[in-house]
Amino acid sequence: MSTDRLKHIVCAVRGRPESRSTVTRAVDLALEHQAHLTFLHVIDAEFLEHATVAPLSVIYAELVEMARFAMLVLCDRAQRRGVKEVDHIVLEGDIRKQLRQFAAETQADLMIMGTPTPGPGKNIFKEEELKQFIHEMEQWGNIRIMQVSATNTASS
Amino acid sequence: MKQGTRFWGIWMVLLLVAALLLFHPHAGAAQVTDSGWLITGFIHDKQGTAVQGAQVVLLAKGVAAPLAETVTQPDGRFTLVLVERPSSDLSIAVTREHFKEADLPLDAAASQTLLDSGSLFLPEITLLRRVSLSFWIATLVFVGMLILIALGKLHNTLAALLSATVLFAFSYLGRPISQELYIFDFSGALKYVDWNVIFLVMGMMIIIATVERTGIFQWLAFSAYKLSGGRIWLLMPILMLIASIASAFLDNVTTMLLMTPITIQIALAMDINPLVLLMPAVLASNVAGISTLVGTPTNILIGSYGKISFNNFLTNLTPGVILALLGLILYTEYIYREELRPEQKEGVSNILMKRLAERARITEPAHLMKAGVVGAGMLILFITGEHFHLLPAVTALMGATALLVWIRPNIEEMIEAVDWTTLVFFIALFIVVGAVQEVGLISFIADGISRLIGENLILAVLAVMWLSALLSTVIANIPFTAAMLPVIGYLTATVPGAQSKVLFYSLSVGSAMGGNGSLIGASANMVTSGIAERAGYPITYTQFMKKGLPALFITVTLASLWLILRFIVLHNSGV
Repeated sequence: MSTDRLKHIVCAVRGRPESRSTVTRAVDLALEHQAHLTFLHVIDAEFLEHATVAPLSVIYAELVEMARFAMLVLCDRAQRRGVKEVDHIVLEGDIRKQLRQFAAETQADLMIMGTPTPGPGKNIFKEEELKQFIHEMEQWGNIRIMQVSATNTASS
Repeated sequence: MKQGTRFWGIWMVLLLVAALLLFHPHAGAAQVTDSGWLITGFIHDKQGTAVQGAQVVLLAKGVAAPLAETVTQPDGRFTLVLVERPSSDLSIAVTREHFKEADLPLDAAASQTLLDSGSLFLPEITLLRRVSLSFWIATLVFVGMLILIALGKLHNTLAALLSATVLFAFSYLGRPISQELYIFDFSGALKYVDWNVIFLVMGMMIIIATVERTGIFQWLAFSAYKLSGGRIWLLMPILMLIASIASAFLDNVTTMLLMTPITIQIALAMDINPLVLLMPAVLASNVAGISTLVGTPTNILIGSYGKISFNNFLTNLTPGVILALLGLILYTEYIYREELRPEQKEGVSNILMKRLAERARITEPAHLMKAGVVGAGMLILFITGEHFHLLPAVTALMGATALLVWIRPNIEEMIEAVDWTTLVFFIALFIVVGAVQEVGLISFIADGISRLIGENLILAVLAVMWLSALLSTVIANIPFTAAMLPVIGYLTATVPGAQSKVLFYSLSVGSAMGGNGSLIGASANMVTSGIAERAGYPITYTQFMKKGLPALFITVTLASLWLILRFIVLHNSGV
């Protein structure tokens, strides 16, 4: 990790128990650099297309609120640990597309993401795909990307 | 004065018409043919189901042209009218697609009766099924639909619609090539659509769409948290009871869709794994949905086909469901005992709880109050309606319309709130199931099961319940239930003691509680897992099965015991 002072750190998480090490690393770095910390979450409600219920708008609103709340929980934990400036962003839509767009447009210095885990549930990125994504983002955007594995070994 | 004259004038005309009808010499009496000979009879299949549309022809030996011909009515009855005195050597030929041709010579005594009295009533005629090419086509299409739904390759509605279209294509385009490819025509297919089910589901959808916007589910879940005082071992059964009661009166998929996000938020705020609260809630929702007629689509199907009223479900099934729920609560308390143990956590953040409390409030209290009043009225009509032949579908439509008129919502929004894809799914499903019924697959299955269980009612109850439960873990329970209904109808008519409709209740229990056996067993499981995964807590197939399969065995065993006690032990002891 570079010794340059980080002003704004973005932690992209899904809220899985496996994300704890990613969150912990983000909080540690925010405290170390006295940086602004933003938790980023992207909602993908594609599965609702197969749900035979209506109206979906009511359920979608609940999903958005659930995601915001999950981010608020993380903000609360970060604040309890002493991070002064912390907020969250919830984006909606295709996760890859939204992350790419965010990384290209943000003024943040560093984005922290978890690595694919072998646990239950789908990983958004496969390992090769994530490498490609990081490469693209570091070329096109002005943001560095750090991967944190569930076993808490950071790499950038 | 002028209006009064017109009023009395209309009354006079009506009275005159009534008097003319009343005193007309033929009024109220059946038309009698005073010349000719009549042969009447009733044609059914091996299961006793009336055969409609069978061609019945009366032939005389040595005469090429038929003496009389007709087609059977929906109740299987036919009447052959002869205008000329027949000879004594007669026979009746019956033909119908998907059945073996029957040739029935009239014996001398029957012919003599016809000649002497001018009419003859034939004993019931049984047509035997024939395995034709269309039998295999309809069977393959039906199985293909089940596979498409199970694999999730196509949306349920699209899978059913595609299957119905393939059947029509074979019937209409294949018939000119070979009669063997014909299954049924369009009007024949529509006869299998149960409109009572369609309208009941539609009415309930409008009610649910109104209720779900009021924030009641979120409020209930948060109230459960408050009531439990943050004690997880207490919060879990309270949430299970809320999910159960809501699922008994509303759709359990909607219940879980709206309860899951707020439950996850409560769990996150308490820093516990949300699955500890979600898994028991969804298991309870699947179990309790069947306590009323309107709780699950399968019960709506069973109620309509088996002529089982709201009250019947309430008195015959609800106690069994309560017993199964008690077992389920004990089971979930046991399997989650580690997670339920109080331990020192970071503590619940006041800011987070305040936000939850703000979100979990009734957003439209006026609408909720009106929905409550209409709901209470509907409940009264559901319970009392059978005394004045009020169909549940009509009650649901009356309730939905009353609510719409009272609330006056944006009607376009409300029409959009009706899940038309589900209604189309039901219509297409009825057609596909109708096809396998038409070609005789259901009759063969009914015959096979009947031979296996013989006349043993306990065996029949257990076989239907456990077979449905185990099959419902892998195949969608709505098409399965729809296909099983004629089979259960046949067993109800043939197994001694089954006339109490115990086998319909067994099907209800099996198809609903069987949904707990696997992640794909019930739609409520799928949506709960979908939302939980979005929150970062995926429920895998194996993970669900480990908890759900024992739940299936416990709840189905308890429900089996109840049905045997209620319909066999108490019935035999005269209680």
